[in-house]
Amino acid sequence: MSQRVVLTGCGVVSSIGTGAEEFGAALRAGRSGARPITAFATEGFERTNGCEVVGFDPARWVRNQPLRELGRASQFAVAAARMAVEDAGLDVEVLQRSRTLVSVGTTDGESHDLDRLVQTDIAQGPEHFDPVLAARVPAGRLSAGIARELGLVDVEAVTIPTACAAGNYAIGYGFDAVRAGEVDFAFCGGADAMCRKTFAGFYRVGTIAPDRCQPFDSDRKGILTGEGAGILLLESLESALARGARIYAELLGYGLNCDAFHQVAPNEGSVAEAMRLALENAGVQPHEVDFISAHGTGTKANDVTEARAIRRVFGDHTPRTISIKSMLGHTMGAASGLGAIACALAIVNRMIPPTINHVKTDPECDVDCVPNNAIEADVRIVQNNGLAFGGNNAVVILGKYEEALA
Amino acid sequence: MSTITADQAEKIKEIVCEILEIDEAELTEESLFADDHGADSLRSIEILAALEKEFGLVIDQAELSRMVNLKGVYDVVQDAAAAR
Repeated sequence: MSQRVVLTGCGVVSSIGTGAEEFGAALRAGRSGARPITAFATEGFERTNGCEVVGFDPARWVRNQPLRELGRASQFAVAAARMAVEDAGLDVEVLQRSRTLVSVGTTDGESHDLDRLVQTDIAQGPEHFDPVLAARVPAGRLSAGIARELGLVDVEAVTIPTACAAGNYAIGYGFDAVRAGEVDFAFCGGADAMCRKTFAGFYRVGTIAPDRCQPFDSDRKGILTGEGAGILLLESLESALARGARIYAELLGYGLNCDAFHQVAPNEGSVAEAMRLALENAGVQPHEVDFISAHGTGTKANDVTEARAIRRVFGDHTPRTISIKSMLGHTMGAASGLGAIACALAIVNRMIPPTINHVKTDPECDVDCVPNNAIEADVRIVQNNGLAFGGNNAVVILGKYEEALA
Repeated sequence: MSTITADQAEKIKEIVCEILEIDEAELTEESLFADDHGADSLRSIEILAALEKEFGLVIDQAELSRMVNLKGVYDVVQDAAAAR
């Protein structure tokens, strides 16, 4: 038996706002999260901007486990999950009696802690490792931290490490589990914290922008690294209606593939194929899509390849194609989790978020990226793209909730 | 440093061959990293990074367009050393 799957709770930790309401307002306003990096020392780098979460108070969200035992990415994940529960108006005791899934996507896990351990190793030797820090490192802690915080016992907790598409992979897994009736509630999305390792890696390959991120712009110079978490609470339509929950959006389907074509270069053909798989899984025709929340990193390679792949699938019906990374930077494993929430908020708030920092569209990209200012629109169906190194592609389709099946 | 020494040239060749995973006999001054030896952009950046480290230089990434063969690499290293 196949259930309709709806999104009833959103948890957001981001550089442009905390919680669904603030995040939605920031998307509409086109707020930028770019600022000088403080998460690690940037001496020796000429470009030092990133999209950090500032003023995050983990103690407000983490109550049932020692804060010190959670790395920053896990703290983001737990905070976002708690927000999602509160946002959904769900009683934690009900949740604890239910069958649940926690699936969190990530690129780096707690690599920020690994950075620090390596520093200790070099300066003093491994016998000086802080054991609490070392215990925070396994990526499984991101999802386990949520289960522990909420006291979930009938739960599968998985962390999915498919890099920058991981959020969509995790949502796809949650979608399947709810659709098949295997779980009552699924927490899914992504989380990542800024770390020196990833910044330096992107820097070395020449993909860090000097001060701002300009997806689809002729003069785009690369990404800004970012951080945060986006956690979605999914349940069956039947469950949501029975408890009178507010429904943000319906999850219609997803598609994923891995071409393993190249370590870092995206492959146009398989990106297009991932979109086709998602549309087919969702039972949606390309011309029905109202806008695409693109992976849109702002690198030369991604934007032109992704835009061409979109053209392949949508042809003359290519919808508006925006990148919220212009505001949030690249939040890595959190990116498509935050992207999916942005799509749902666009549906609810009847607007399409802008691609900020836009001066002139690259003719090679040739998309309407909704430059600089959000537009009002009756949004019914949205596609959320997530593309990752290694040729990992994952695409999620969301729709406005309507009683009759679309 | 106006020209690179024989020792430096030998070291450069060794670095390039190690990164391209080829035998030193296969690489000539003119053979192309991409077309003849299957290199991609990541390998090129690895070469650039290894040269910076070995010789204590800073090489602008725009120079990658000249670093298509061993001859080009010699020129770039020479220029970077002269600019130091």
